[in-house]
Parts: sequence; C-alpha cells; structure tokens
Amino acid sequence: MKKALLAGALCTMLAPGVAMADECGDVSVADMNWASGAIITRITEFLMVQGYGCDVTLVPSATTTSVASLAEKNEPDVVPELWVNSAPLFLKLEAEGKAQVAANVFSDGGVENWWVPDYLVEAHPELATIEGILANPELVGGRFHNCPDGWGCRTANDNLVQAFDFEGKGMEVFNHGSGETLAAAMASAYEAKEPFFGYQYGPSAVLGRYNMVAVDIGPYNADIHACNQTADCATPGISAYPSAPVLTVVTTDFATNKPDVYELVKNISFTSNDVSRLLAWQEENSASYEEAAVYFLTQNKDTWMGWVNESAAEKLGNLFN
Amino acid sequence: MATYDFIFDWLGLRDWCGARETGSAPMTMAELLAGGKKATADADAGLSLGDVWNVPPPSLDNLNEACPAIARTRDMTEAVENGFIAGKDPLNVVLDPMTQPLSWLLDGALALAEATPWWVTIIVLSLVVFWASRSWRLVSRVAAILFFLTIIDHFDFAMQTLSIIFVCAALCVLFGVPIGIAMSRNDRLQKIIIPILDMLQTLPTFVYLIPLIFLFSVTESKLYGIAIILYAIVPVIRLTDLGIRLVDREVIEAADAFGMTKRQKLFGVQIPLALPNIMAGVNQTIMMALALVVIASLVSAPGLGVLVLRGIRNLELGVGLVAGLGIVLIAIMLDRVTKEALARVNAANSVQRH
Repeated sequence: MKKALLAGALCTMLAPGVAMADECGDVSVADMNWASGAIITRITEFLMVQGYGCDVTLVPSATTTSVASLAEKNEPDVVPELWVNSAPLFLKLEAEGKAQVAANVFSDGGVENWWVPDYLVEAHPELATIEGILANPELVGGRFHNCPDGWGCRTANDNLVQAFDFEGKGMEVFNHGSGETLAAAMASAYEAKEPFFGYQYGPSAVLGRYNMVAVDIGPYNADIHACNQTADCATPGISAYPSAPVLTVVTTDFATNKPDVYELVKNISFTSNDVSRLLAWQEENSASYEEAAVYFLTQNKDTWMGWVNESAAEKLGNLFN
Repeated sequence: MATYDFIFDWLGLRDWCGARETGSAPMTMAELLAGGKKATADADAGLSLGDVWNVPPPSLDNLNEACPAIARTRDMTEAVENGFIAGKDPLNVVLDPMTQPLSWLLDGALALAEATPWWVTIIVLSLVVFWASRSWRLVSRVAAILFFLTIIDHFDFAMQTLSIIFVCAALCVLFGVPIGIAMSRNDRLQKIIIPILDMLQTLPTFVYLIPLIFLFSVTESKLYGIAIILYAIVPVIRLTDLGIRLVDREVIEAADAFGMTKRQKLFGVQIPLALPNIMAGVNQTIMMALALVVIASLVSAPGLGVLVLRGIRNLELGVGLVAGLGIVLIAIMLDRVTKEALARVNAANSVQRH
C-alpha cells in the first residue's frame, strides 16, 4: 500500500502537466506466494498505478485461499496466475457468475508432467519412457512422488497409477503433504544427484533451476483424461496431461465497473518460455520479485506497450525516456 | 552517488571498494521510477532537513551501493544456503544413524495401529486408561470418544495420529526429563540451554522443516518425528528444571542431614517432590505435540492432519472442522488421562485420599 502511495506520488511529480484522465480508484490484486505469480502481480501493479492511476493493494495469497476469498468475499478484484487444476472450485464460481476469466496468463498453458533428472536419463536412456521406468523401478528410486491431497493432479495421478498398475510393477507411491515438500524433494534429490521420479508443474522455480526430463507417458486423450480427473472414475486409462489452463481471474464487479483496467488485465499474457527465462534470470541474479518485474518491463517495452490503452501508453512512455 | 560514499572516502577505502560494474545489479523499482531524471544533488549542496529525515539506514544493501566490495544481504542468504548444502553430507553421516531408530519406532507404531482391528484397539486402550487412572468414569469417556470417532469414519486417521503422538511424546519425556534434571543441577548448563529452548519454541516450524528435507528425506517418517519432538520437548525440559529447583530448601537440608547421597536425594526427594511440575510438563508436551499434527501432515505425516489439509484445499469446511474436532477430542482424552494419572501419583506420595 505504502509502495503504491509512494509510486503514485512520484508519478504525480514526474508528470505534473498531465491531467488525471479517469479516476481508477482502488484495485486489489492477489499477490501469490510463488515466484512467477508474484512477478506477474508486480508487473500488473506497476502498469495499473503508473498507467491508469489506480490505487493498488496487494493481497498476499495462494491458490486455494484466493478462490475461497473470491467465493465468499468477492475479493480481491484480480487474481493473476490461478492454476485451475489446483482449485477446481473456481469452475463452480464461474458457473455461478461470481467470477470470470480475464485471460490465459500463460498463453500456451502451464505444463504438467512426470519428471526424472537429466543425469538419470543420460546414464539409462530407457528411463525417458514410462515403460522403461516401470521395467526398472529401482533405477528411479522405486518411488513416485505424488501431489498433495486437494490438488487436481492428485486425482489424475491416482487414476494413472491404477491404470499403469504401479503396485504390481513394484513402484511405491509417496503422497506428499504439501507442494513445498514436493518441490523440495525434487531439489534435494537433484542436488545430491540421487534418483527421483515424480510430478511437477511448470513454469516453476524448481523446474527452471534444475534440468529435468519429462517422461513420455503416451499421447493425450481428452476423454480418458477427463475421466482420470474425477475421483470416482470407473475405468482409469492412460493419457498424458494436456497443457494446464492458468488463468487471470477477476470478479464480475471489477469487469463491469472498471472496464479500462479490465482491458489491461485481459491483455496481460506470457509464453511459458518467457516466464521460465524470467525465473532463470531472477535465480541467477538473486533478484527480488520487484527487480524481476522491473527487468521484464525494461526488456520488453514493445510487448507491454501493446497491452495498455493510449493514455496509459503516454504516461508510461514518459517514465522510460 | 550513494548516501554512504562519504564513509568509505573518509576511511580511505575507495580502492578496496572497487568500481561498480555497470549493469551488474538488477534495477530496483525506485531506480526505474527515478528513471530519466538524473539525481542532481551533489556533495557541495549541503544537508537539508529532508535529507536528514529520509536518511537510509546503514544496511548491507545501502552500503553496497556506496562500496561494491561489501556483500548485499541476498549474497549473505545465498552464502547460508551454500554453506548448508555443502555441510549437509558430513552432517548426514552423524545424524542419520542417530535418528534412524525414530523412523523405525514411528513406522512400527503406524504399522501396529493399522494391523490391529478396531475393537481390539478400543479394548486395549480402555484397559490402559484404567490402569493409569483407576477411574471407570474416565474409561467410559475415553471409550465414548473412540466410538464416536469410529462412527464418523475417522478411526483410522485418529489411530495414526495417536500412534505418532505416543511415540513422539514418549521420546520427548525420555530425553526431556534427564535434560531437565541436568539443567537443574548446573546453572551454566541452564544458561546455555534456555536460549536454545526459546529458539525451538519460537522458530517457525516450516523454516527448519524445508532445509531438513535436504538433510533427511521427506519420505522418511523421522522428518516429521523430529519436527514434533523438537517443538514439543520444550515444556517437559523447562518444567522438570523448574520443578526440581522449586523443591523446598529445607527439605533438601533435611535430606542432607540424613546423610543422603546425591543420587538418593535426586530419586528419593527431589524427583518425587517435583513430580507435579514434571507431570504438568508431560501434559503440556502432549498438547504441543498435538498442536503440530497439521504441520506434520504438511510434511507428509499420516493422520487427522491430512483430513484437515484436504478440507482446506478443497474448501470443504466441514471436513476440516470435523477433523479438527477429532484432534481436539484426542487432546481432551490425553489431557484427562495424564491428569488422572498425575492425581494418582500425587495421592500415592502424600496423604491418603478418602
């Protein structure tokens, strides 16, 4: 809040001649507790404050808590990077008309997969396919690292595990308690150059940092995958994951009351590659989320200039010259 | 032109500081917003009141602006991380054998809980409660709670939680009481241990849990076992130390007058008289172990915590609340049993109850 006020004050100092076009008012944006979400939030905040004169409040949040808040309190106004697979409840909210999708914040979707470390595949090339892994479960550590309870991928993985008959092939399934331990298990295995086989989604800090190879599960089949995603699927089948929908979600009130800013939010979108590179840059330079946002803004002026409307483009142009 | 340039110039350290390579540090938001306006303030301009009011603190980051040789705070945190990753292998060689029995105990207890049929468990637990408290009323209450948990399909989870708590609380008491006794006899040891206890109680569990995943493996039960023990052992240590120190001086004098050896004094006088405090410590240890159930489930412990997390993540408030209620019921059960056991021990040591 203080940052927004300070930034707003500086903005006023820099462009005294420009009249405040339309009063944007207060906007609350969810500040997700992981790197890519936090960076996208800060980019959004910057564009809103500097370009549209909004008064932005960042609300520290996470996937489930933001959806809960949207469901009960109709807050915050904007939730960037919502992984719908981890919060299937959102689809119900959308159906009820409480919230709506503003954009696919990852234009080519997030990636969900089963991964093994690259050093393992170099030593044993057959581990790049699921058949190879199941034929030699001890080479990957004899254990599959599964998603925590409550994530959409847990249901899908549980069904896939049944379809592949992990138990019969001697592959133990370890159900993690939280996403943090899942990521930490992958990181610690890679650091110690130990075998690892488990689920991870990307773009994420851990996938950006370590070279993992996606296991070939087979082709994607929409019907089979749809059944796999329900808990009581009678016939679990084999299907790879499609690209995961990762959305920017807004409340319907926000969309109706602040059409200009809503247009901006609708345009904010990145490719997975962009985000991965941004995360890798952040990692290399030990940058904070804010600095990573600044890096993106300074390096990709043409891209985000295309997101804002004309008056905002003018104001922002002043800042960068 | 940074605020603290003058210190390094004055101390003659400018050469040691070195020149800043342009573009080496990521641009901050403040720098971006300051943007095209070059700062026109120069050293001769003198200090204004605004400058004094807004002086930035002499933090590592601000000093680094003036003198690139000084590490930034993020370099320090990176160094801590690298130190930990470098040191974890030798640390593992020492810690793994020490902590392996904990894994075996936890896995054994969980396997036992899983293998025993529900009615055998309820009967055995009721008998244990009777032996500890000799109170039929308490036994009927405990049996009622266990039946209730069975009826709402929470029995398996409750038994998993109960086994984990039993093992961890038993180990806490096993290690905590001797440490408390040692502390009570040695003031210097107490001075060293008390800050460690303070740290264990206040350091957020998740802070040391995630690095522990690098040390041990999240798939081993000793990870959450250690988390629970480190957090819950504190009350029993503190209260044992307090209890023994609070024994009346005159009673100790009388014991000395009778010519008791140190050992006889400890086991014959001090511990029996400190028992109320020690039992209070044990009671608190069990409560704090239960408080950690959900965090333990965040690091893949089985039990009621899993249900709570499931309820939170799926926004099924009812599931979370009922599982939480289950944890509370187990806490009440253990609290009453340990209190009754304490009352019996107290009564045995003092005037006969009518």
